[in-house]
Amino acid sequence: MRLLALAACALAAPLVLVDYQLVFAAEILVWGLFALSFGLVYGFGGMLSFAQALYFGMGCYGFNLATYKYALDTWGAIGTGVAAACLFAIPTGYIATRVRRHHFLIVTVILSVLTSAMLASGHWRWIAGPYVTRSLPFVPELALGPWRFSFSSEVFSFYFTTAAVAGAVWFAWRLVSSPFGRALAAIRDNEARAELVGLNVNLLRWMMFTFAAGIAGLAGTLYVLLARYTNIEFFDWTYSGKAVVAAILGGASSLAGPFAGMAFYMVTTEHLSRHMEQVSIAFGLLLLLVVRFAPEGLYVACARRLREIFRK
Amino acid sequence: MELLPVLVLNGLVWGLIVALIALGLSIIFGLLDFVNVAHGDFFMVGAVLAWVLIDRTGNFWIAFAIVPAIGLVAGAAIERGVLKPVENDASLSIVASFGLSLILQEGVRATYGATPKRILDPIGVTFPVFGLEYEYYRLFAAGVSLVAMAAFFLFLHRTKFGTWMRAVRQDREIAIAMGVPSDRIFMVTFGLGTAMAMLGGVVAAPLTSVEFRLGLDVLPLCFIAVIIGGLGNLPGTAAAAVLLSVMEGAITAVAEPTTARIISLVLMSVVLLVRPRGLFTRLAT
Repeated sequence: MRLLALAACALAAPLVLVDYQLVFAAEILVWGLFALSFGLVYGFGGMLSFAQALYFGMGCYGFNLATYKYALDTWGAIGTGVAAACLFAIPTGYIATRVRRHHFLIVTVILSVLTSAMLASGHWRWIAGPYVTRSLPFVPELALGPWRFSFSSEVFSFYFTTAAVAGAVWFAWRLVSSPFGRALAAIRDNEARAELVGLNVNLLRWMMFTFAAGIAGLAGTLYVLLARYTNIEFFDWTYSGKAVVAAILGGASSLAGPFAGMAFYMVTTEHLSRHMEQVSIAFGLLLLLVVRFAPEGLYVACARRLREIFRK
Repeated sequence: MELLPVLVLNGLVWGLIVALIALGLSIIFGLLDFVNVAHGDFFMVGAVLAWVLIDRTGNFWIAFAIVPAIGLVAGAAIERGVLKPVENDASLSIVASFGLSLILQEGVRATYGATPKRILDPIGVTFPVFGLEYEYYRLFAAGVSLVAMAAFFLFLHRTKFGTWMRAVRQDREIAIAMGVPSDRIFMVTFGLGTAMAMLGGVVAAPLTSVEFRLGLDVLPLCFIAVIIGGLGNLPGTAAAAVLLSVMEGAITAVAEPTTARIISLVLMSVVLLVRPRGLFTRLAT
């Protein structure tokens, strides 16, 4: 029922919103998906990762490489982006998930720094094409059966992004409600016991890390389709901070929380940045307050409160 | 190639400063059991405060005396106000320190500005070495770091408070049961760690350009030192920082700086996989 209402909202959105708002809404969904990939790793897997930006960047560069070097169409480029993120997550995730807690955090930061340094050094330009920063020189088009759609249409961009994000969320939902997701929650809550009942802890963490990286990669490719622009900055670990802030504000251990957090983050930034320049200070303070008073996240806390009120 | 001795010397000086900062990170980790993501930004704030004080008073030595004291007080206040309420959850503490990091960076950008600024060499005397003029100030900076670290280890091993700190690190519950005031120790530890980062900032300020992003370069360096030295292993951390920096200096003589950085990052990954407790397990206190 709620899903139908959401779908109706999405379908009706182009009637209400003007073009630039549509693109902004699509961007919120893309960055929300990025925050969700952090939520999967942290909220469901208990791994505090600052490496999500790495896979977002890999998605962007995979898309770039596919269109620039191999002249693939948009479907192929999206596939390449997601595959690049997953393939990169397999070795890096293997290193990271072998260690725990603080080591894990440090390793994810270092992996991001390492990759940024390599890309920036210029010896690895084949990954990035000739440019570290690249604007797509063409408007991407998408073949859907006999029809071709161009991303110059805001309405199509919005529908496509929404559909892709919905698909990814459905996948994430299947993932966390599957036995695999349950096992991972068990590991998060008590690793020693999970290991005692026979779960292969490292393998499961590694798998979740890779799935989440694929989702971050998808967000990266969707971002390129919307903004037609990639930047080496996307690999920086501070970029992961955006996902961390949004997911924690909204609630990292729910699927809707990261989206709610990111929508709140982006809408406030958009409106406040007209009046004050340093919105991030406000978000830093808000983060401290949320961590202190509602560690499960604002969205989750509000949803629970509302449910309590309606029950009475 | 003829620059090799000077680059190694520079690496040694910078390594000692990084060792001081990494030591601060390591003691906070050892006692409070969380990785302080804002540590690099405390270093940056130290450098920025040094610039501001020099701008107001025209004297480096006033900044040198005041800034670490500010760090001690501010760190203690932050521990009490921000970190204490979430001390039981390491992940939440890290997220809180990330919030702090945002506040510090953006706060500095809002007040101090985004343009990098430079501080003049406060000693301004050079001496010839390996065919180049070398600043005395660099030797002074290395000396300050050494003295500060030595003083900290004396404090840790020769005073009652230092013994308490080691006791809490070894076994928190037993220490509390024996009447050690753990709350006060956490507060002082975080203050000391912050003061070390800010002292590092003041000392490093004349050697680099001062801007709000300074911490982002230093934090990964400290992380690498902490991993190679062993998380929470204080002498190991300091040794690793010096070793890494000297190694990077030596590599820079024959290759690009990014290559040097990549090599130390790879070294860290290998250490992490082969010896997750660090290279210097025998040095652990």
